Amino acid sequence: MSQPVTAILYAPGTNCHEETAAALTRVGLHSELVLLRDLLGGTSRLQTYQAAVIPGGFSYGDHLGAGRIFAAMMTARLGDELQEFLAAQKPLLGICNGFQVLAEAGILGGNAPGQRTMALLGNQSARFEDRRVRLQVSKAECLWTRGLAGRILVMPSAHGEGRAFFPSAPDENAVALRYCKEDGSPAEQYPENPNGSPDGIAGVTDKTGFVLGLMPHPERASLPVHGSQDGLQIFKNLASFLGG
Amino acid sequence: MAIYSIYTQSRDDAEARHWLLFFRRHGHRELTNLVIERVYWLEGRVDCEKLLPLFANSVYQTASSHSLLDHAAGPVIEIAYRPAVTDPETPSILAAAKALGEDGLEFARLSKRYQLTGISEREARGIAERFLFNKVVERIRDLGESVLALRPTGDPDSVEMIQLAELSSESLSKLSTAKSWYAPLSQMQVIQAHEQRIGRLHTDAEIEILVQSWSDHCYHTTWKSLGLLKKLSAATRRIAHPLVVSSFTDNAGGLEFYEDWVITIKGETHNFPSSIAPFGGVATKHGGVIRDTLGFGKGAYPIGGTTLMGTMDPAMPENEVPAGALHPQLILSESIRATAYYMNPMGIPMMHAAYKRHPGYAKCLALGHSIGLIPKKYALKDAPRPGDLLLLIGGETGRDGIHGATASSTTMTGETLQKESAAVQIGHPITERRFATAIPVLRDAGCIRSITDLGAGGISCGAGEMGAETGVMLDLDSIPLKDSSLTAWEILLSESQERMLIALPPEKLGKARSLLDRYEVGNTVLGEFTSSGRLEANWRGQKVVDLEMSFLWSACPIDPIAVAEPYRKLKSLNIQEPCTAGEWSRAVHLVLGHWHCADQSAAISQFDSTVQGRTVIGPYGGKNHHMPSGIYVSAPLHGKSYGVCMTVVWNPFYGDIDPAGMAKLMLIEAVTKAVVAGVDYHDLALCDNFYTPRVRPEVAWDLTRMVEAIVELSIKLGIPFISGKDSSSGTFESGGLSIEAPPTLAVAAFGRVADVHHIVTKDFKQPGNKILLLGRVGVHALGGSVYADAHGQRGNQLFNPLGVGDAQSIQLVWDELLRLGARGSYVAASAIGEGGLLVRLFEACHGSGLGARIDLDGLEKVAGEVTGASRLRSDELLFGEFTGAVILEVASDFDTNKNLADVPHCVIGEITKERQIVISRGGRVFWQDSVASLATVWSKAFREALE
Repeated sequence: MSQPVTAILYAPGTNCHEETAAALTRVGLHSELVLLRDLLGGTSRLQTYQAAVIPGGFSYGDHLGAGRIFAAMMTARLGDELQEFLAAQKPLLGICNGFQVLAEAGILGGNAPGQRTMALLGNQSARFEDRRVRLQVSKAECLWTRGLAGRILVMPSAHGEGRAFFPSAPDENAVALRYCKEDGSPAEQYPENPNGSPDGIAGVTDKTGFVLGLMPHPERASLPVHGSQDGLQIFKNLASFLGG
Repeated sequence: MAIYSIYTQSRDDAEARHWLLFFRRHGHRELTNLVIERVYWLEGRVDCEKLLPLFANSVYQTASSHSLLDHAAGPVIEIAYRPAVTDPETPSILAAAKALGEDGLEFARLSKRYQLTGISEREARGIAERFLFNKVVERIRDLGESVLALRPTGDPDSVEMIQLAELSSESLSKLSTAKSWYAPLSQMQVIQAHEQRIGRLHTDAEIEILVQSWSDHCYHTTWKSLGLLKKLSAATRRIAHPLVVSSFTDNAGGLEFYEDWVITIKGETHNFPSSIAPFGGVATKHGGVIRDTLGFGKGAYPIGGTTLMGTMDPAMPENEVPAGALHPQLILSESIRATAYYMNPMGIPMMHAAYKRHPGYAKCLALGHSIGLIPKKYALKDAPRPGDLLLLIGGETGRDGIHGATASSTTMTGETLQKESAAVQIGHPITERRFATAIPVLRDAGCIRSITDLGAGGISCGAGEMGAETGVMLDLDSIPLKDSSLTAWEILLSESQERMLIALPPEKLGKARSLLDRYEVGNTVLGEFTSSGRLEANWRGQKVVDLEMSFLWSACPIDPIAVAEPYRKLKSLNIQEPCTAGEWSRAVHLVLGHWHCADQSAAISQFDSTVQGRTVIGPYGGKNHHMPSGIYVSAPLHGKSYGVCMTVVWNPFYGDIDPAGMAKLMLIEAVTKAVVAGVDYHDLALCDNFYTPRVRPEVAWDLTRMVEAIVELSIKLGIPFISGKDSSSGTFESGGLSIEAPPTLAVAAFGRVADVHHIVTKDFKQPGNKILLLGRVGVHALGGSVYADAHGQRGNQLFNPLGVGDAQSIQLVWDELLRLGARGSYVAASAIGEGGLLVRLFEACHGSGLGARIDLDGLEKVAGEVTGASRLRSDELLFGEFTGAVILEVASDFDTNKNLADVPHCVIGEITKERQIVISRGGRVFWQDSVASLATVWSKAFREALE
């Protein structure tokens, strides 16, 4: 079998695709930058890839809502392909704007593309927050955080809309990552919790554990010069899944 | 065409909550609730139901076909952009609707309703006008106003022929003002003579192009007249630095990096629009300087940005704000919002941001830098050839920014706010982001012979400059317009943002188009390069421009500028030295709580500093990521250790005392900040940005002296300036009152570093280690200092870091630092600057969770040795701004006698585990405090000014 390839899906306004590709290379993975437009036009197919990452940025300027237009295009035009991808239990990661896309698309929260069940609201401070955060990995079953339960990961976080909102309390197994204090307990207070997310929710997985959305940026904590290489752990989990 | 409206509201709306608290803090205690409703106006044949998921997420938003605001609950204010200004969201809505299969949507607009409960309609309007909108670009929309069409429509004015023959000097000047040309009489006379020579009348478009191209903003007439540009570029040539790839000729300066890459730098001011419409002004400031990076060589990629804002005191009482000026607090908060609005979506890391105040910044200073990365083989442009196509890429052309260049070159008056409203643009970062992604791809595919950005002067300047050596023929009918009522000269002069011009080899047209379409970048062939030596343009079957390039680019008369030495009313400092511990605490608090030293993270943490994954040292560092770093370092080649570094300094207070002295201090401070972190000054180049009042003889004197000072020093030190920009428009006039900006020079030091792992940061590392001061301390270091300003004083002399030893003395310090650095002899370091030694000690302690015990005795001794000064007061030693001196953390057994030969130095104390700063002199501790309580003072001042 040929080498597995991870798709990095991007659209106008996405701006973290290159460093995300670089982080994947660091764990020995092959990736391809795939324009959403090419998927919509049928010149690229999601099925060709073994995993996918939606990186950070401001897709379509975040107009109408962070990640909304990307998500609306994807669910309206790629619904079947997306279902197939999820059903095949191929790993899918949304970072920052990518998480917002997954929430807006209904993939996280309810796992039903087109039916939204969670949202990422404007930060409590009503502004963009650029900070370094501490995350505690929960026991939730998730491919991307496998073997990391209880660990504290440090990485940059930079967003304006990251406050998780669930109309009804989320399943305990849905929360994969929490902003935490030095002792590992969930951070409710600003600025350790940069956006006011309840219970410190920073990352959410779906019921299969193959999908993860998180607000902080693991790709920006993947080199010694970044001051933390904790983000690499998340990509290493993908590498061992695809490699093994 | 049918028009629909959709109204949405969000539950748990953080923005609404923020405004409610904000207005209550600002004197509207009776305000009890605030609701925001967004209105989407849609024109065309659409099924609104199908589009609903775009406008509302039902998990937290409601959507309906009518407003859900209950009018009994309080006054409702609706804010919308003025009809001629396009909403940033419009193109995205159209694209999304199309993707959802709703092809019939023709246009969309937005407005925003605020319902304020508990106050009167009149009060609500007052709040809106003060905080919620800017009447230059937005308006309060009458709720009952009927909407007939969304897209601005109308017929253009026809081309006007303008006769200048026989007009007297007085009439020429009158006409120039009436037409908003603001051209000096000498220019009007040259154009008058040209009319006679060519034997026909000029079109309005031709005259508009001439006066625009010859404006100070575009042509730098002030600087040319004083011969300043030549001086700077001649100095750079003389230095003949081996790393300089491009200086003063392209849109940015270029410096050799490693492995066949070049790094680029540009700084640009955007003061005028930022004063009357700070949000739009500052957003376009960033957009413009980023396009200078994209327009370097054959297209560089932006990898870092800065923002520097100078305003009057934001705490100024409302009734002291000069008529016609905006409140400085509004300028400040709007400028922060604008930087976040533009820079974050661009995905360019914030390297450095600083907000300073000075009573002379009635017309604010708005400066931004952009640095970039480009393969060396693309660092130089090729000359366009006849037959090459002019490709216009990016957004549509609108009425925005018309007369921006001439307006920004004139004095700002109370009426400017009204008069030149069209000179303000609203930036659309998403449009620029699209071509930022596409340009490197186009470049690598060989589609770019040359590229430039369209900023001041629009297409006329861009195409005119690009085709200066060949000639260009433009087809104005090909240009996509936001507003069909634009006439020829408006199309040519429009400063609509987010547009660039490419000289494209004709055989590459297909390739270029397919790439641009793929990245959803608008593109149009606007014309072609000719061999006519003329700037020609056709519009609606009429030749509207036919000017010789030689006339356009060399006939501009340069009026001589008188130069006269200014008389400065300066007073020597008169500050009582603190005596008791209480007085010392008060003095320390004044400095740490002074704006220029205080924690500005409330603003700066709103800007993404780590995007692109290249940042090594961002604006904040230390253990708690809350210590200002003083330098930015990134590793631009993914996975490699080569670094780019950048420092920026400016000081409006020094400019009040001695502009030339200030200029030297800025150069030395910028370089010292980089060298102390471990950067070799042979690997640095500089960027200058001047901001001075409208020229008069005394200003010309200052300007000339400042340039001469940096030219001389840069030659002596061998560090070249490779890029820069001047703005001679820092004068605000209102009702007979004239407020001049202080002579301002921002210097950025920019360069490369072989291994980012060797960069040394400020924060202390190890208790027991010694703190060493290296460099010159001496008299006058409180002149223009933060300490003096905190006492409402300025002083009459600046510190001279060079002493009698000339440039050599500072070079000795830098060389010593490099030697020590190469041996790894110091583990923490910072350059002394604003606020003096005390501020650096505080930062190094705050960033490390450690403390310091300092003894000033030795320091006084060394000061006496190098300056002959008898006794320096303790406040001079602690708060004196000894530019060029540094503090270093060295091991406890570091032998100063063995290691430091020729440089003034002194061990001033040691690092302690206790989180205290303890200061003694003459064997007596005269002040101490805990770092935590100092941090409280330091972190409060700026945040409170924002709230």
